[in-house]
Amino acid sequence: MILKPPPLAAALLLAAVCVPAALCIGLMAGSSGWGWPQGDILWLIRLPRVLSAFGTGAGLALAGALIQLVTRNPLADPYVLGVSSGASVGALLALMLLPAGLFLAPEVGAVLGALAATSLAFLFTWRAMGNSAGRIANQPGTVVVLLVGVMIGAACGAAVSFMLAVANDQQLRSLVFWLLGDLNGASLWWPLWAAVGLALLLAWPRARELDWLTRGDAWAWTLGVPVAQRRRLAILAACIATGAAVATAGSIGFVGLVAPHIVRLVGLRHARALLPFSAVFGGVFLVLADTVARTLIAPAQLPVGVVSAAVGVPLFLFLLLRRSQGR
Amino acid sequence: MSQQNIHLNASPLPLHLRELSLRAGGAGRLLVSGLSLSIEPGQRWALLGPNGAGKSTLLAAVAGLALPAGGELRIGERVLAQWPARELVRQRAWCPQFWLDPFPASSWETVACAVVATQPAVSAQRAEDVARDWLQRFDVGALADSDVRTLSGGERQRVALATACAQAAPLLLLDEPTAHLDWAHQVLLQPLLTAWSAAGGTVFAAVHDLNMAWSFATHALLLDGRGGFAAGTRDEILQAAPLSHAYAVPVSVLEEGDARWFRVDLSATGNGGNEQRKTGQ
Repeated sequence: MILKPPPLAAALLLAAVCVPAALCIGLMAGSSGWGWPQGDILWLIRLPRVLSAFGTGAGLALAGALIQLVTRNPLADPYVLGVSSGASVGALLALMLLPAGLFLAPEVGAVLGALAATSLAFLFTWRAMGNSAGRIANQPGTVVVLLVGVMIGAACGAAVSFMLAVANDQQLRSLVFWLLGDLNGASLWWPLWAAVGLALLLAWPRARELDWLTRGDAWAWTLGVPVAQRRRLAILAACIATGAAVATAGSIGFVGLVAPHIVRLVGLRHARALLPFSAVFGGVFLVLADTVARTLIAPAQLPVGVVSAAVGVPLFLFLLLRRSQGR
Repeated sequence: MSQQNIHLNASPLPLHLRELSLRAGGAGRLLVSGLSLSIEPGQRWALLGPNGAGKSTLLAAVAGLALPAGGELRIGERVLAQWPARELVRQRAWCPQFWLDPFPASSWETVACAVVATQPAVSAQRAEDVARDWLQRFDVGALADSDVRTLSGGERQRVALATACAQAAPLLLLDEPTAHLDWAHQVLLQPLLTAWSAAGGTVFAAVHDLNMAWSFATHALLLDGRGGFAAGTRDEILQAAPLSHAYAVPVSVLEEGDARWFRVDLSATGNGGNEQRKTGQ
């Protein structure tokens, strides 16, 4: 199969059109109909929500791209590290134990939970990611990283099930909504944007080395890549982005797995382009998905995860199958 | 093949092995011990020995990827472990037996990684030109824009060899460079390695085909898989006695003028040969 040069200029142009367009659509669509909102509705409700949606999608997509690179696993998503499960446990604990309606309680709980899960993941995988000289065999490191993440996720999943079992009916609704991924009330967009920006700033300068790393730790090391440091850096960046996204909007599935693949399928296959464009695509995608989620059955709202899967699965399959049929 | 223009990125340095011992996986079975030899610029060494004798382990140790169980490795005056990884990139290239290609990348992009790694300031266009040139030399120029994941084993191997050469480091460490290669492309390798050493470079290649080894090497290191080894010029090592000992099968040598041809002497492979193999393990 012939690979064309990455369509960088076209992608930049498309991003320059799509980002403002998606933001405008998100701002204009509301439960009361279509139109440019007035004053407070714009500044206090629509804009923070749209920016939160963009940041969440961007963070998850960036984390997904990073995790797929460092684990060499096209099926990996931000949640395989267990960060989101940790965040869920933190958020649910806050929702259950703290008085209802306490300002930012689930968000802070989620950040703490994500931090705890990240620390655990690093503790267990520190050695597996390669010793200090980076002199290591090829495969085991990535497998250990994945398995540790799966185990942390499983433990957290059990904790979440336990909390769901003991929660009362009032709590249950907010817990389930949080678990499904919910941008309702997500208004604190700037810490999220800062976290995603930080993650991109950490990883992007090393993008080329992350590309080399996918072809084998040993080979990358002979090209001068400090294997263990780069893998830890990428995982740290992914944890920051995932933690911030999950704390803002809960576990929204699908974006992190599929956004990097869609960006690759249009031909942006190098990490240097893949990381930023995954973030942009994820952001645009989630803004649009959230717009649908809050207008489709207005005034009620759908969890955005429902919409992102309903739109994203066919979109991804279409691109994948069209590509594999030779075009 | 047309004229070979080879520009090395660093001045060639000798490789010194002193009392080197290697173990499988760093601490397991003893592969070789007391290995001392010097590999000088301009030499082409064939690394021979039965499966599991430690050929790949030795190449990985020389590449700096694994610490030897004992002894010392030096490139030039400096002990290998004291070479900063980023300087080592310009000094040695390592072509492994196995590649992972989890994500799409074209052949030339794969080769260009090695160019960029050695010359971080190189322009994108220049890196691409160098990559395409090396692919051309290995007769995979037509596949330069193809996804490496769609190549055949032999085509992928030639991309790998092009990658190692594009690094332009004087010391070329090749782990089974002729694996998967058809005859025509095995033959292609020999003038290229000769040109490499003529440019001052050093070749250290693990091979299984003794005829191939004879055709490209000036020297040979023969591991017997039981801790022993024989090192010397091609003519000294590629003889019936040391080969039969190391491989534990009777190897016969046909001399034809200056050339030698090797084959396993099946007529002599009776019970004796089998028993010898068993005791060898």
